[in-house]
Amino acid sequence: MKLTRLVDLSIVTGALLGFGGILLVYLGNPANSGICVSCFIENIAGALQLHDNIRMSYIRPELIGFVLGSTLMALKTGRFRVRGGSAPVIRFFMGFFLIVGCAIFIGCPIKMFLRLSAGDLTAVAATVGLVFGVWVGVKYIKGGFALPRDKELRKANGFVIPLFVFLLFIFLLLNPSFIKAGQKGPAAWHAPLAISLLIGLAIGAFAQRSGLCITGGVRNLFLVRERTLLNGVITAVLVALIFSILLGQFKFGMNAQPASHLSHGWTFLAMALVGFVSVLIDGCPFRQLVKAGEGDTDAGITTLGMLLGGGLVYVWILGSTSAGPTFQGKIAVLIGMIFAVVVAMAFRRRKVKAQR
Amino acid sequence: MDRLDKLSIAVIAGLTLISMSMLVNREITTRRQDNPGVGAKAEKDSYTLQMEVDKKIFQEVASYKEQGLYPEAMAKLTVIMKEHPEKSLSYVYLAQLYLKQGKLRDAIHGYRLAVEMEPDYVDERTPLFIGDEIKKLVTEGREKFSREKALKPKDKEVRKALKDVYYLQSRLAGGCE
Repeated sequence: MKLTRLVDLSIVTGALLGFGGILLVYLGNPANSGICVSCFIENIAGALQLHDNIRMSYIRPELIGFVLGSTLMALKTGRFRVRGGSAPVIRFFMGFFLIVGCAIFIGCPIKMFLRLSAGDLTAVAATVGLVFGVWVGVKYIKGGFALPRDKELRKANGFVIPLFVFLLFIFLLLNPSFIKAGQKGPAAWHAPLAISLLIGLAIGAFAQRSGLCITGGVRNLFLVRERTLLNGVITAVLVALIFSILLGQFKFGMNAQPASHLSHGWTFLAMALVGFVSVLIDGCPFRQLVKAGEGDTDAGITTLGMLLGGGLVYVWILGSTSAGPTFQGKIAVLIGMIFAVVVAMAFRRRKVKAQR
Repeated sequence: MDRLDKLSIAVIAGLTLISMSMLVNREITTRRQDNPGVGAKAEKDSYTLQMEVDKKIFQEVASYKEQGLYPEAMAKLTVIMKEHPEKSLSYVYLAQLYLKQGKLRDAIHGYRLAVEMEPDYVDERTPLFIGDEIKKLVTEGREKFSREKALKPKDKEVRKALKDVYYLQSRLAGGCE
């Protein structure tokens, strides 16, 4: 009975993600970017002046919704469990590299399937890369990798990130002078605030209950042959595909897709990094936001790392454009891979062979 | 909850209230002092200024172009590009001049360089938008170069031209970039 309910929730969350992603584009978000955690984190970093690209500066209410929706649902259901202390500095940098990987591909795992369901074939290499990265991560888990166990913390710790996010919401409403909001480029493309926030809240709340995670779905399949989360992901893809066709957003092909490039090798590697890191820190960028909302301070630290990444990918010119990845971006992906492998090795508990 | 807790809560509430009041007050004052669309106006002014400066710099090029004196326009443009390498408009003129001379491939490459330097050329919310002009050209280019690619699949120049076309189409399609 419980399993059935969980399956249903994953599917509901997936359907919401797919539908929300397409509807938000229809209502004004950038093409193929109805929901993109990495793009939106970059937008928020710009709004906070962590980078100076005004075209990418706007406090995206969808992300506020994800975190606060999760917080409200966790509080309501008594699942607001405050924990942390599991390799926080490592998680911070993992968060940074998550965004680096996403910036090379131009999109997070959610945008990856939104691009795929909009007919963008350049997302195929990303999907294969992400699955490969998850597979590598699972190999390490089976080989004894585990970050240190988290501990129960005082409740106040768990409210810091939700309060920070609430403060962003206040900034969004009041628009103080130190917050930047671009009037051109992707920043100027956004659905009405209330609708974006409501969709974000709904997705955040359901994701908290279901535990939906794009990489988690694939990981569970590889690790324990369990399909609950994957069903949610597949639902998201199918729903997005249907609504993409219905709302005229479907454009099949490899070339001339919005915010995409043809460097498939680097796309593969960048998303492999995202998949690998997501497995190591137990969750894709979206899942990190949801966990940060439900009191997981480690996910909160990862979120802050993602925010730093959102700023530095512009300052250091790491992110790709339609022309392809930059040299710095390629180097950053490679460094990210090295970092992830070193962490995976360092935290492995190796089996000691029995002495004769 | 002891006395210190109560005091702390009162202090937090008081400080929050003061901060919020200060923020709200400042916003109201700023909005009263400035016009509501002050940011937008400043941006519009900056575009107007930029366009006026550009008009002066490219006056001769525009004039030669209108008279059909393309070699002269090109020569002047080369000088401007050396003096003002930061001017993305040079590449727009370059593209237009190539187009006038029937060099579609070079024209498309010129537009690509212009858009790489100044994304506002494909942003319909800015006064610099020339997306329709570019769109028309890349549609023509895509058909032409796709045909050429089918005939000469290993021709590097044709593949390069198609890459430029795809780049511009991708930028015109929008997205989070």
